[in-house]
Amino acid sequence: MLRIKYLATRLVLAIPTFLAVLTLVFFVIRVIPGDPATAALGDYASKEAVEAMRERMGLNAPLYVQYFKFLGDLLQGDLGKSLITGKSINEQVKEVLPYTLELTLSAVLVGAVIGIPTGIYTAVKRNSPADYLGRVLSLAGLSVPAFYLGILIMLLFALKLDLFPAVGGGDLTDWKDNLSHLFLPSLTLGLIMTASVTRLTRSAMLNVLQEDYVRTARSKGLEERVTILRHALRAALVPIVSIIGIWTANLIADSVLTETVFARPGLGKMLVGAILQRDYTALQSVMVVYTGFIVIVNLATDLLYSIVDPRISH
Amino acid sequence: MLSKKTTLIVIVLLAVLALIAAQCGSATPQTVTVVETVTVIETVEVVKEVEGKTVTVVETVEVVKEVEKEVVVTATPEPKEKVVLRYADKAADLGTMDPHFAAATNDRNLADMIFNGLLRYKPGDGSEIEPDLAEAMPEQEIVDGKQVWTFHLRRGVLCHPSDEVPAYELTSEDVVYSLQKSANPDRSAYAGEYDGMTVEAVDPYTVKITLDNPISPVLFFPKVSDYAGGFIVCKKAIEAMGDEGFKTHPVGTGPFMFESYSAQDKVMLTANENYFRGRPQLDGVEYRYMPELNSRELGLLSGELDVINGAAEGVWVERMNQKEGIRVDVYGVGEVATIHFNTSVEPLDNKLVRQAIAYALDRDEFLALFGEPVAANVYSQVPAQFLAGGLTKKEVDDLGLEYALDRDKAKALLAEAGYPDGFSLKMISSERESYLKNYQSMQAQLAEVGIDIEIEVVDHSSMHKLIRQDVNPIVIYVAWRPNADVYLTRFYHADSIVVTATKPDTNFSHYTGIDDLIEAARIELDADKQVEMWKQAQIQLLDEMISYPLQYQNQVTARNINVDFGHELKSVLALYPQITENTRITK
Repeated sequence: MLRIKYLATRLVLAIPTFLAVLTLVFFVIRVIPGDPATAALGDYASKEAVEAMRERMGLNAPLYVQYFKFLGDLLQGDLGKSLITGKSINEQVKEVLPYTLELTLSAVLVGAVIGIPTGIYTAVKRNSPADYLGRVLSLAGLSVPAFYLGILIMLLFALKLDLFPAVGGGDLTDWKDNLSHLFLPSLTLGLIMTASVTRLTRSAMLNVLQEDYVRTARSKGLEERVTILRHALRAALVPIVSIIGIWTANLIADSVLTETVFARPGLGKMLVGAILQRDYTALQSVMVVYTGFIVIVNLATDLLYSIVDPRISH
Repeated sequence: MLSKKTTLIVIVLLAVLALIAAQCGSATPQTVTVVETVTVIETVEVVKEVEGKTVTVVETVEVVKEVEKEVVVTATPEPKEKVVLRYADKAADLGTMDPHFAAATNDRNLADMIFNGLLRYKPGDGSEIEPDLAEAMPEQEIVDGKQVWTFHLRRGVLCHPSDEVPAYELTSEDVVYSLQKSANPDRSAYAGEYDGMTVEAVDPYTVKITLDNPISPVLFFPKVSDYAGGFIVCKKAIEAMGDEGFKTHPVGTGPFMFESYSAQDKVMLTANENYFRGRPQLDGVEYRYMPELNSRELGLLSGELDVINGAAEGVWVERMNQKEGIRVDVYGVGEVATIHFNTSVEPLDNKLVRQAIAYALDRDEFLALFGEPVAANVYSQVPAQFLAGGLTKKEVDDLGLEYALDRDKAKALLAEAGYPDGFSLKMISSERESYLKNYQSMQAQLAEVGIDIEIEVVDHSSMHKLIRQDVNPIVIYVAWRPNADVYLTRFYHADSIVVTATKPDTNFSHYTGIDDLIEAARIELDADKQVEMWKQAQIQLLDEMISYPLQYQNQVTARNINVDFGHELKSVLALYPQITENTRITK
């Protein structure tokens, strides 16, 4: 009951967050020089043609009229139409969202599956060669930009070894094709997350492993595997869940670069295209989806805390 | 244990199944009769009048005939894998597929595959125009002081089928509708090009175009060719789906038909089985949007792409040409980079200062930034390499207007103009390399004579907006225009002066001295005289140093060696290699 009340409160509080982000995005993108009509018609078009295009795009209406129309449409679940192509944004988001979701979730999976065990192992084997290697690799992982790592991974797995396709998102209805296109981008994003998760898991585990109850468990002769996985890891999970939550939100942002490098359809690529074309409606809409996604991830992370550690109540 | 009888039944059933499977798996050869259309040469008797007498002569003519032919076919042919050309463009997304709004190169590429014009630039060679939807090149006549062009349309040209309208034959009604749409500023970005033009349907296959002011063929043909407003759209389809719907569901008569569009990802085109020049050799085209050069390059090298937009750098061209199975095509038409001086602001309002700048610049130093064969020097505002009316290096040399590098002379001219210690200027540049490299090189070269330039880098779209607000005393502009008249009108006519003119456009120099020559050349019907006037206009521009022609930058595409475009790439107005019915992928 307490949890439902908490959830409802958080959802209500998300509304002003949404509104603030949307208002900021709406006005900031209109301050940037360059306009959609010029971007659409190119430098060859005459000034009259550009003016006619601005009129058709509804950009000559007062700013507050455009703003309230945007909010009104949004309340009805209508993200509007692309200023450039005229295509429904709802339709576009529906087409590309599955690509971004599968990329983000699979990258989180890669990051957690590799990062948590590596972090535990390096903590348990503190100051061993394996620990040093893990620390160096995780530092390197944190330092490499996603787009650079992506190109290196493409060169190795697509060009040299010819194991996976280099570009594209694959066909969502063909799982084999889809998975083969997903592997390299999710590995790229996942490895970057792995570095962070490894470091944090190691640090959290080191703290917990020095606790009295761990020493007690060991002195009672409890199997080391059980001591670490059942007693120590359980206590270290809260910061790990927290970092995974933060990284899930980060990965959505990082997907902008990954989707561009791997030429995958997705929200990130849509965002880049909207910026380049000054497609205000598309840009606003992508921000709506991003904001919604981040609000949901934060909420899910908060709820996970109380599952991982029942002492935490909201 | 199975009884003997059961075993026998099982064996028989298995044998029957194996037989059926064998029948399904292998093709049984059969002889069938098919009807083919062939062109044959026949000898015929023709009655002619020779010197007033009627005589019968024997001539050979080409005749199209249907013949019956026996061919051996398999009852169940193996399904053939579709041959789809995968093209990766540097654009982030589609702009529009309405050809009358298509301005970006990537949008024009699609329009080129989907639509036709009455006339067309010969594939791969923009210097020649030939009939497209028209049966032949039109003849002109002057009626009551107006110029009339009559076009006879090909018969049997079909508009692509769409969800709303099935395939139907294109007639003069579509052509009239289309050209009227091009002339309407609410429905076209090229309306200004069609001012003073009346289009009428004489009969279903004849179209008459009347121009209030006669112009030469060089200026008229581009208006009705497969470029910009000259693309012919299908009336019934556009009326059924509306202008907005047409942007993403185009219907034309070209070799490829629209199939699907995924935002920020790709457009799929499929072969037009009924294309009037014959079915395309490709089954389709996958046109992908990939702004990242590294991704396009890796996609091509890994065999996932067939053709990509390359980098306009000599080093890149050389490196890619060394890769096995890859060929890089470098071809015109080249977009021309020109340095425009704002003659309305100090100190550039002084001719001596402008000439000093010209003498301080070294074309070869700019050229080295891009490298041959990607770029080449130009010596007049209209590129002589691609268009009638341009001046060659020799012509400019002979006139003493080359402004070859001479920094001592530049310093002397600055001193004479009252600026012995030089001066400072502020300007913005696009982040695009084709602009920024030129601005930075100019900055370094002019520093040698004491001119200090401060550059602020902005994104490309912002640059276009800001230079039209006259923020730059010196504008470097890279552009292709289809003929000398457009170059001179839009960059040097008084009506095109940025901000202040009646139709502000791209006259960044604020120059008004060649208006008479531009206007006289536009209505001159004698091609030689017209060219002479254009040259005179540019001699004046060079003499006054209104702008400094720098270089043209060619188009660069890389392809898998198995791709054959079906034509030689000389100069392509559409700025891409052109995918036609003859393009194929050989294995």
